[in-house]
Formats: sequence, C-alpha cells, structure tokens
Amino acid sequence: MSNRFDDRRPTVLEEQAHAEASQHFAEHLKQFPASREAVERLERNIAKSTLAANMAAAKPTPKENIIQVDDDGQWHKSVDLMDNICLCHRPITGGAEYAVVEHFPVRGTNEIWNRGWNAMEVLKVFAQEQRQALQIWTEDMTAQVKEFLVEKYPGQDMSRVADSFMHRFTHEVSQQHSPSHEQNHNRGIRI
Amino acid sequence: METIPETEEQTAATPTERLAYSIQESADLLGVNYFSVYRLIQRGKLKVCRALRGKLLVPRAELLKLLGTQ
Repeated sequence: MSNRFDDRRPTVLEEQAHAEASQHFAEHLKQFPASREAVERLERNIAKSTLAANMAAAKPTPKENIIQVDDDGQWHKSVDLMDNICLCHRPITGGAEYAVVEHFPVRGTNEIWNRGWNAMEVLKVFAQEQRQALQIWTEDMTAQVKEFLVEKYPGQDMSRVADSFMHRFTHEVSQQHSPSHEQNHNRGIRI
Repeated sequence: METIPETEEQTAATPTERLAYSIQESADLLGVNYFSVYRLIQRGKLKVCRALRGKLLVPRAELLKLLGTQ
C-alpha cells in the first residue's frame, strides 16, 4: 500500500479508515488504472493510428468493416481505438473524412464522437476528451471518499486518509501491468 | 417452490422510486464500466447533478432518456 501520510505515523483509526475506504472503493481502484492506461495507449499511438487510417482510406474497404452510423450513413472502420470505439473514414470529394465512432451496446447504436478532415486532429480531440473524463472521475472520487469518511467517522479529521487514498487512486498501476503481476508470472516459468 | 404470500403491510410499503443514482449504481444499471459513465458525462450524454460534498449523481430520468425509454 502506498502511504502518503506526512511525517507523523498514521494513527490506528486512520489506518482502519484507509483500509475501509480501499475496500469500499475497490472496484474504482481496479478500473481507474486500466482506463488511464487505455487513454495513455491511445495518446501514444496517435501517429500510428493516423497512418493506419490514411492507408485504410486509400484502399477499398472490406464489406465487414462498413459501419452504419445513426442518421449519418455509412462509414468505413479504419482502426480500433478502445472498447467499442474506432476511428472511421469515408470518401469525400478530394480526399477523406474521419470520425471517431462509438458503439453503444446499451442502445445498439453507433454514434459519432467527433469528426474532421484531418485524422490526427480528430484523434487528438478525442484523446483530450478522454483525459477530461478521467479528470471528472478523479474529482468525483475525491468527493466520494470525503463523503464516505465523514459518514463513517463523524467529527474526526480524516483529511490525511483522504489525501493518501487519492494518491493511491491516481498512482496505482493496473493489475494487468503491475511489476508484482509480472513477477508472479515470471515465478511460474521454470527453465 | 412455495411462494411466501405478502402481508398487507408489505404490499402497502412499496418503496418509492429513487430519483438519482451514484456513478457505480448507474454503471451497474447500464451494464457498462465506470469509465463509460464518466465519458457519457463528459460528452454531455448524461446530465448529472452534484450532492452536498460534490459527489456526482445521475438522475433516474437521465438514465431512462439514455436508454430511449423516456
């Protein structure tokens, strides 16, 4: 557990509160690092995805890669970006138009996130919006943790616990890529 | 299997429908992960309100609207 308590050692009550908060928000602690990594991957691959989209736009699209977008006709899938989200293109006079399209399984619809004539710009805007969504998540998490601690420990100053928890929340590495996971995996290999 | 008959008291005490849900509850109701809900909020597809300490709440009506049932 990464502790960000200041010079003073955490009290027994603070340690207990931290453990309870970690348990209560375990699913957030699991999902946030994975989502952040997906956004980082998207950002890292912008140039690569742009190239792939430009190349895809320059050749005929296989039938299975055609996507019907609600109220906006057919688009051609170029690159998968995240779960249920892909970069698409369609021919226009003198070139191609690009769009980030999201499939909503809940409604069974495909919707355009953003669009433009420059694939890289379209991807940059999309990536920026994903960052904003992570920021909304972080702010909400801060509020949720504070509320949880106030309700569980009324009248107690739990600000150090909240700070420590949020540090862990924003810095934890997802299980999928954590060194401990790799270590465990390596331990399983017998040469 | 034998069903337990409802008493008069149980029948009368129908719980009132909740007006809003937390992000976790919204994600569970929609069957998506938490990030999807925050992305819907960022995109303006889900209008939210803030509780006293700033925690986000999703109005029931917004969830129904998103699902196209309202």
